[in-house]
Amino acid sequence: MAEAFMAYPELRSPFEPKAINADSSATILYQGRTIKLSSRGDGDGLLIDPIDLQSINGFEIKPEGVCYEDLCVPLDDSLMITQAGQKWFSLTALAELLGQPFVVDEEAGVWSFAEIPAKRENMMVNAMAPDLELTDRQGKVVRMADLKGKKALIVTWSSW
Amino acid sequence: MPVWQRIYEEINDPDFVLICVAEDVGGEAVAGPIFDAANPTYIQVIDEDHLVSSAFNFVNVPSAAWIDESGRIVRIDEGTYSMIHTFGEGEEAIAFGNDVYEPALKDWIAKGGDSAHVQTAKTVSSHIRQHSSDQQKADAAFRLGNLFRLHGQNDKADEYWQMARDLNPDSVNFIRQNLTLTEEGSAGEQFRTMMGEYVSSGKDYYRPLDIENV
Repeated sequence: MAEAFMAYPELRSPFEPKAINADSSATILYQGRTIKLSSRGDGDGLLIDPIDLQSINGFEIKPEGVCYEDLCVPLDDSLMITQAGQKWFSLTALAELLGQPFVVDEEAGVWSFAEIPAKRENMMVNAMAPDLELTDRQGKVVRMADLKGKKALIVTWSSW
Repeated sequence: MPVWQRIYEEINDPDFVLICVAEDVGGEAVAGPIFDAANPTYIQVIDEDHLVSSAFNFVNVPSAAWIDESGRIVRIDEGTYSMIHTFGEGEEAIAFGNDVYEPALKDWIAKGGDSAHVQTAKTVSSHIRQHSSDQQKADAAFRLGNLFRLHGQNDKADEYWQMARDLNPDSVNFIRQNLTLTEEGSAGEQFRTMMGEYVSSGKDYYRPLDIENV
């Protein structure tokens, strides 16, 4: 057998099995947050209450469309869906329009979204630090935007 | 991590922020004691979901970004070492790391935009890895695997961690993190095989370091 080095097999499965959506209708993973939805629409994709949209990804529904800063996507029937008089917004249809990759586990009701490409453009094109929010070991939130006026080195490492 | 505490103390500049980020699914249990042993006064983050690597398109540790006062990245994605490390002896000795990164960093902190090590936005942009849609999807799959682990659903965790590795085979982070949670560990036969293939295919897990001695 190969020499074990930085092996923590006991940490692979240290938790008791439990349901992810025991008290919710769906779970979203985005930007390091775990967001629980109390309701979702039926059918393909992830249909959310439009009121939840802004708190999930910062997009707002406006007369000109669904918008984030200067980016607006016109609203159409693929994005806004009415079921039994209730309006739903398709988060997955928006992701597809924006080229935002995601992975879904339908059985568990979890959608994990990668970053929206338009939100990364300022880094990819202009080399500006990404809009990143981290929580340190003391529980303090560290935002890249709060570092302005100082030089910062952000360095990754690992125990392995 | 003691090395970063030393560097941080030597720089001793109130306008310099050092953020050390542990990319570790094992969380506080594995990364916490390593941080604590360094008695750190810099910002310490334990990043179980590897969000920082994802945000900067890093594929290995240690990697870093230098960010100036305006929020612009002025260097990125280089093996972030302070010395040359050697393991083993004779012909089997393996050396990695470098001894030019630390002086270059200190030069930048002292001189700011006048440092020869500051790169233009155009250069930095060209140094940021271009990740495909599948590679970005791999980040989402990895986090989904972590969520299933936290809920004790280990088969699902394995399924999505493997998906992440398949979607982004360039990520040394994903394969080593995954192997860390096995009996074989992060530097066993699977790892050596994978790294042999990785290097022989001409891939770099850090950008080539182009720092002259300072």
